[in-house]
Amino acid sequence: MLFSLRELVQWLGFATFELLLQAGALALFSLLLVLKLDGVAALSWWGVFGPFFAADGLSTYFTAIVSVRLFQDGEKRLAVLRLFWVLTLLSLNLKFVFEMLLCQKLVEQTPELWYGLIMSPVFILLQLLMIRACRVN
Amino acid sequence: MRMSLAQRVLLTWLFTLLFLIMLVLKLDEKAPWNWFLIFIPVWIFDTILLVMLIVKMAGRCKSGYDPRNGSQNIKKKAWYLIAMLLKLAFCLVLCAKLEQFTEMKLVYVFIPLWALLAGGIIELGYNIFRARRD
Repeated sequence: MLFSLRELVQWLGFATFELLLQAGALALFSLLLVLKLDGVAALSWWGVFGPFFAADGLSTYFTAIVSVRLFQDGEKRLAVLRLFWVLTLLSLNLKFVFEMLLCQKLVEQTPELWYGLIMSPVFILLQLLMIRACRVN
Repeated sequence: MRMSLAQRVLLTWLFTLLFLIMLVLKLDEKAPWNWFLIFIPVWIFDTILLVMLIVKMAGRCKSGYDPRNGSQNIKKKAWYLIAMLLKLAFCLVLCAKLEQFTEMKLVYVFIPLWALLAGGIIELGYNIFRARRD
């Protein structure tokens, strides 16, 4: 539409398979969310967010394998850069922290955890994506 | 004239940032605005995309247009148009639900999103398997 698949892969730094994984997780998450909010199934918020955590885990596993293969093929710089980027985005930092904080807020409804704070990893993520876009361009 | 990747990213980034700021203000109860107002960046962004898509599709109707000119086929453009309309429908129904204009169940609100995601997943899957076959 606005971006071709190739541009998206270059910009986001994910493989097409990882994009498919995240799209699948979003579909499953929305289904579980509807089941919970419509009162059809008594799910916990951690259960509802489960598909996202699973997709992050699988994506990290996939990246680890790709990085090891790249490392074996002598592409050491590329391997480290890819591993670093995906770990920053998904598993260690931004996306994962955002999901954890949002889940915590929904479970406990703590007033100290305001939405500006919960969204802060997403704002950082947006800045990183902007910088990366300049680099890719 | 085609926009460069940086311009397209900047456009997406700007509207996403604006939407997230307004969403945070609403959720933290700092701004007592209507949900339709919170979604203004989404409406503007979707309108820009729809206009761009319709102009591209209308370009095929010009006299002397050669369909073998290396452009994307019309089926793909039609799918993009449907995807945009599904996204717009989802956002509109979600706003109506959040403003409690309607008493419909959440499952009906999410139907356009699921249709959009199903189409996206099929397209991504097709791209993965086509690349593997090639």
